[in-house]
Amino acid sequence: MDPSASDDQKLIMETSGRLMDQLCPLTEVRSSTYREAEFALNYRRQASDLGWFSMLVPEELGGGSVSGNGVLDATLIAFERGRRLQPAPFVSTNVVADALARAGSPDQKAKVLPRLISGDASAAWLPLPTAPGQGFNASRTSSGYEFSGRSTHVQDADSAAWLLVTAETDSGVVQALIDSTAAGLTVTPLEALDVTRSFAEVELDAVEIPAAALVGEGDARELVERQLAVACVLTSAESVGAMDHDFEMALQYAKDRIAFGRPIGSFQAIKHLLADTSLMLEMSKAITLAAANSVGTDDGYGLEAASMAKAFVGDCGIDLAQNCFQVFGGIGFTWEHDQHLYLRRVTTDSALFGAPAWHRERLCQLSGL
Amino acid sequence: MDSTMPDIDIDIDIDIEIEQFRTQARTWLEANMERRPRATRLGSSDSRTPEEIAASRILQRKLFDGGWAGISYPKEFGGRGLTGAHERAFRQAALDYVMPDFGGAGHVMFGAIGRSLLAHASPAFLHRHIRRLLSGEELWCQFYSEPEAGSDLAGIRTSAIRDGDRWILRGSKIWSTGADHADYAMCLARTDWNVPKHQGLTWFAVPTNASGLTIRPIVQINGATGFCEEFLDDVEVADDDVIGEINRGWTVAQTMLVYERGAGDAASAPVEPRSLAPDLVALASKAGRASDPVARQLVARAHVNDYAQFHLGRRVAARLRSAQTPDPAVASYGKLAAGTLIPIRARLAVEIAGMLVLGWAADDSSGRRPATDYLNGRMGSIAAGTNEMQRNGIGERVLGLPREPSFDSNKPFAEVVRAARNWDGRVG
Repeated sequence: MDPSASDDQKLIMETSGRLMDQLCPLTEVRSSTYREAEFALNYRRQASDLGWFSMLVPEELGGGSVSGNGVLDATLIAFERGRRLQPAPFVSTNVVADALARAGSPDQKAKVLPRLISGDASAAWLPLPTAPGQGFNASRTSSGYEFSGRSTHVQDADSAAWLLVTAETDSGVVQALIDSTAAGLTVTPLEALDVTRSFAEVELDAVEIPAAALVGEGDARELVERQLAVACVLTSAESVGAMDHDFEMALQYAKDRIAFGRPIGSFQAIKHLLADTSLMLEMSKAITLAAANSVGTDDGYGLEAASMAKAFVGDCGIDLAQNCFQVFGGIGFTWEHDQHLYLRRVTTDSALFGAPAWHRERLCQLSGL
Repeated sequence: MDSTMPDIDIDIDIDIEIEQFRTQARTWLEANMERRPRATRLGSSDSRTPEEIAASRILQRKLFDGGWAGISYPKEFGGRGLTGAHERAFRQAALDYVMPDFGGAGHVMFGAIGRSLLAHASPAFLHRHIRRLLSGEELWCQFYSEPEAGSDLAGIRTSAIRDGDRWILRGSKIWSTGADHADYAMCLARTDWNVPKHQGLTWFAVPTNASGLTIRPIVQINGATGFCEEFLDDVEVADDDVIGEINRGWTVAQTMLVYERGAGDAASAPVEPRSLAPDLVALASKAGRASDPVARQLVARAHVNDYAQFHLGRRVAARLRSAQTPDPAVASYGKLAAGTLIPIRARLAVEIAGMLVLGWAADDSSGRRPATDYLNGRMGSIAAGTNEMQRNGIGERVLGLPREPSFDSNKPFAEVVRAARNWDGRVG
C-alpha cells in the first residue's frame, strides 16, 4: 500500500488503528462516551503505550519516535485518527509536549511532561489569535505576569490538566503553562458543530502567572511559530484521514447504488466528480506529508509548508465533504448516516488554528511580501 | 484504494552514489556547458527556429559524447544504463546551464517516443535508431491525433495497406509537436478495418522527407506556431519500419500514454518550489497591488497550488516506480492536476494583473506574458488527453467504477462511423 513508509511506521499505524476500532469506534463517538473522564483516561493510557504522546519528545526526556522524524510519525497516527473521527486532545497534547520538551523549565519537564507522555493527563493549547475577538494580553507584575483575555473553541479545555496559553505583551510574546485550577480561569463548555469533539470557551481574568510557569525565555515568538506549524500539520493530517474515509464511503456508495439500471458511479457526472475529488485527496496527502517532512526535519521551510498544507487541506476538506454529500444524496442528510460527522469535522478543522485565507496571508508575510 | 499515507520522499534513501554522480555532472557541466541565469524561462509550446534547432543538435551531441544523454537508457543503445534518480539529479544540476532546447518536442522525443520504442521495437530497429536519437542526429515526433480522432485515439482513420514488402500510408494527422524540424515520425495507422478499433492498429517509423508527406505548421491561439498538421498521400514505408507487432499497436499506445502523462519525463519533476510565485509577486507589484489583500490571496493561492502539485508529482512518480507495470491511470493524477491547475494559475495571474493584461507597450512583457499564458494555459487541459479522459481513467482504473456502455468496442471498425451516423438514439 505504502511504497515508502517503514515497517515500523506501518506497524504503529496498524496497531493504533486496531486500538481505536476496539476502544473508540464511531458508535462510541456518537454516544458521547468519550466525554466521560474515566473513559478518556483509559483511552489516553492505552494510546500512550503506542507512543501517541511521546513522538515529539526526545528520548532523554522519556519520549521517542519511530523513524527519527517524530512529526512525520505523529502525522501518520493523526491520519489514522482522522479516519475514525477520534475525539481526545491528540494535537494539543502533542503541541504542548513539544513546547515543554524544547523550552520548558526543569520543573515542568520533571513534573508535567511525564504525565502527558503516559496519558495520565492531557493539555490544552491556546495559540495567538487567528480570528478577531480572541486572544490574551499579558502585563508585568512584581512576581511575573498577569494574563487576561478569552479564547473560544479550545478543544478539550474542560478535561485538560494544564493550559498552555500564549499572550501578547508590549514587547513581544510570552507563554505560560497554567494549571486548570488557577484562580481567575473560567472554562465554559460549548455546543459545537463538530459533535465528535469537546470544545469550550476559556476566559482568563487577571490570572497571576508566576515566573516559574513561563515556557521559554524572553520573546517566545519563534517557539510559538513552531507550535503553530506542528498544530497545522497534525490538524491537516487528521483532516486528510477524515477525507480519506468519507471518500471511501462515497465511492462504495457510487458502486452499490443502482439508478436507471446502472450503478450510479458508471455515469460520468458522478465518475468525474469522484475523480476530481480523489485528486484533491491525493494532493492533500502529498502536501501534508511534505509539510510533515519539512517541519520534522527543520529544513528551513517548515513554517511556510505547514501554512500551505493547512490552507490547501482546509479548502479541499470542505470541497471533498460537499462532493461526497452530493454522491450520497438524501441519505447523507440524515442523522443516522456518518456523512454529516465527517462534514462537521473537516469544516471545523479548516477553521481551527487559522482558516485557509489566514494562512495564505501568513504565507505572504513569511515570504516577505 | 490507498488508505495509508505513503511517505513521499523515497529519494532520501538514494544515497551517496547519486551524490557522487551529481558532483561529476556539475564538474562536467561547468567545464563543457555555458552558464545561464536560473530565471530564464523556457516556453515549451512555441516552435523553435531552424537555427535554434541546429544549435540544440550540437549541444545534444556534446551531451551524448560526454555520456550525459540517455542517462537512464540501456547501455547497448548508447545510454548510460542508470536510474531515473540519476536522470533527475542531472536535470537538476543542469538547470544552471544552457541545455539543448527542442521545446515540447524534446519532452516527447526522450520521454514518450524513446521509452515506447525501447519497450516495443525490435533490437535491430533500436540499434538503427536509438543512438541517433540520443545524439540529436535524428529528431523524432509523433503522428498520432487526427482531425477526426482526439480523445478517442483508437478511432484513428489513417490507413496502412500492405503491398509486398512495403506499406502504403494514407490519411492525415494533427497536433504533432515539432514535426517541422523532425527527421522521423512515429505514426499510428489502421492495418485491419474488419476488427474492433483497438485490434487493428500498427505503428510505423516514417521519415519526414518521404515522398507524399506534407507537413504544415498550425498557427495557434497566441499567433505563434508549434504544432503541425500532416497529410499522407500514399507514403511508402518498408516492413523494417514497423514498430512492435502488426495489429498490436494499442499496446504500444498504452506505454506511450503513461509517458505522455508525465511519468517518463524526468524534466516534469523540477525542484521544489520554495519562493512565493515570483512571477505573480512581480506582477502584483507592477499592478500596484502588493499590499492589496485580495491580490495577496491570489498570489498565495497560486504558490500553494504549485507546491501541492509538485508534491503530487513526486507521490505519483513514487507510486509508478514501485509498480511493476506502470498503470497509465495513476499517471492521470499528474495530468489532471496540470490540466486543472495550469488554467487556474493563468486566470489568477489575469486577475492580479487587472488592466495590465488588456494592452501593453511593445517593449513591456509584464502584461503580455500573463495574457499569453492565459491563452496558452488551456492547452494543459486538452493536449495529450483531455481532463475528461483523465477523469475516466482515474474513475474506472484507479477507483474501480464501472465503465460507460460502449457503442464501438465490439464492432468491426469499418462499421463504426456509419452506425453512429444512423443511430436512432436508442440504447441497449
